[in-house]
Amino acid sequence: MKKILIIDDDPDLQEGQKVFLEARGYEVLTAGGAAEGLEILRRFTPNLILVDLMMEHYDAGFVFCAKVRDNPELAEVPIIMQTAARDKLGFTPDSYDEKARSWMKADRILTKPVPLEDLLNTIEQYLAE
Amino acid sequence: MQETLRVLVVDDEEGMREGMRRVLERNSYQVDLAEDGEEAIKLLKANPYDLALIDLKMPGIDGFEVTRYIKETLGRQTVIVIVSALATVEAAMEVTRQGAFDFLVKPFLPKDLKQVVQRAVSQRRLILEREKYLTELASERNLSSQLINSMHEGVVVLNINREPVLMNPKAESFLSVRYQPWLTLKELALSEEIQKNIDGILDSESPRDEATIRWEQVGERMLEIRVNPYLRDGENAGVIVILDDVTRQWQAEQDKTRFISMVAHELKSPIAAIINYINIILTGMFDGQADKIHEMMERSKIRGEALLDLIRDLLFLNQSEAGKVEKSIERLDLKAVLRDQLEFFQAQADRSGITLTLEAREAEYPVRMDRKDLDRITMNLISNGIKYNRNGGSLSLIMRQDDESVAVEARDTGIGMSAEEMKGLFAEFYRIKNPHTSGIPGTGLGLATVKRIIGEYNGSIRVDSRLGEGSTFTVILPRA
Repeated sequence: MKKILIIDDDPDLQEGQKVFLEARGYEVLTAGGAAEGLEILRRFTPNLILVDLMMEHYDAGFVFCAKVRDNPELAEVPIIMQTAARDKLGFTPDSYDEKARSWMKADRILTKPVPLEDLLNTIEQYLAE
Repeated sequence: MQETLRVLVVDDEEGMREGMRRVLERNSYQVDLAEDGEEAIKLLKANPYDLALIDLKMPGIDGFEVTRYIKETLGRQTVIVIVSALATVEAAMEVTRQGAFDFLVKPFLPKDLKQVVQRAVSQRRLILEREKYLTELASERNLSSQLINSMHEGVVVLNINREPVLMNPKAESFLSVRYQPWLTLKELALSEEIQKNIDGILDSESPRDEATIRWEQVGERMLEIRVNPYLRDGENAGVIVILDDVTRQWQAEQDKTRFISMVAHELKSPIAAIINYINIILTGMFDGQADKIHEMMERSKIRGEALLDLIRDLLFLNQSEAGKVEKSIERLDLKAVLRDQLEFFQAQADRSGITLTLEAREAEYPVRMDRKDLDRITMNLISNGIKYNRNGGSLSLIMRQDDESVAVEARDTGIGMSAEEMKGLFAEFYRIKNPHTSGIPGTGLGLATVKRIIGEYNGSIRVDSRLGEGSTFTVILPRA
């Protein structure tokens, strides 16, 4: 069974995606913030991470990604970032190119609300690689 | 010029002096006579003469010396006519060089004298007019330089060769440059865009009186930089650059943009959660599990209601910021208001087993406020004290007062806050995010609004807290 870690400070989005992905046959763990997420990663190595951008701080998601990438054991785990904040905050997922990827450290940015089918397709695509 | 002109006649021959006086007085001039150079100098020191008729050859101080004295020592604009029998070209040239205006050769007829004096008088009038004009010009210059120096905008004037020729103190301070005559445009360190605007004006074939305006950050400041053509008779004469400090407007705009993006985020989050639940239900994957669907519907309802609360708070914020909320200030008893509110919140407190107490020794605690504002403050204090409490905890409201103020302390036994978490507590949309708070609904506008309202009444709000032990909010309001 493939394992997914969901990190989101919105308990409902967290819960909703958890029940949906569990019903699709994934094992899902959840965390309410970047710090809690990093804590879980000490004992749990997922096949993929879903992370929110604005949590404890407006850029908590980016900081989280950078920390995950610094850990050699987790460096290859695909990270999908979900955010409701877009261009207004200076982050434009649409202009997400190679250069941006090098500092953002996330593999993909999806804009909330993410349609479930899109989420599933994206997850399956990264897990197939 | 109608006033009498004053003439000094200097001649060592008495007949000559008297003759000239007669002719001149007949022509309405005021005449003084001097029989030698020394007396002439005495008179010249004491009186301003428009005209001096000076004999060149005198014993002692001669005509040359008197002329030099008038021009060099006194620096006067007196028109000098030399009267002499030494009719040589050399002598004429010499006195002209000394500053004499004309030369009258002895002997002369009265009509010759009249002619020479008339010429000298028109010269004198020209000089007087020029002096008047120069004085006016000087005071005008003085006025405009005072005006420019007292402006709160910075002013830089460039000539046609793009050289700064004028800079007021404000411009010096905005650009951190001291003005000096050989200052260059480059040293002003204006941006490329501004330089382009300057070039655009100076290189234009048909200059138009139109300014270009740009906002640029210069050091700590945001400056509005206006580049205006300086036109003289419709021709380009240079450029006037006006610098205005718009830092405060700029910051307000920045704050507004940030606020709007935060609002957008806060509005989107609950909708994203609701749509997510609906989408899950719509997949049909839980069709057989009514309890799961019910749970998701219940959560969606809560999020929907929270969204309504947020919109209500935002509208309130907008109205009160726009000054649209009418206040009716009245004398209110804070104790009575708190008692009412505690009654209202009793049911909610009971659900979490929280004990509510009000400790107020005196009969009343009067304040002068709008009832809605006071309700908003007290509701927020009590509701937070319940929401962020632990099951079976307590919320105590402790009142005190002195002659000037009324205070209420709301002490809870809740989850508390770390020093780090308290930092932005009164900022808009600030919500502490940790596992304890994640299930608690809130808009992130409550305390920000409360603080603003309290500020409107010159009161204050303070928080003391310890993580895991509880928080105490103290509100102080002026006593009625």
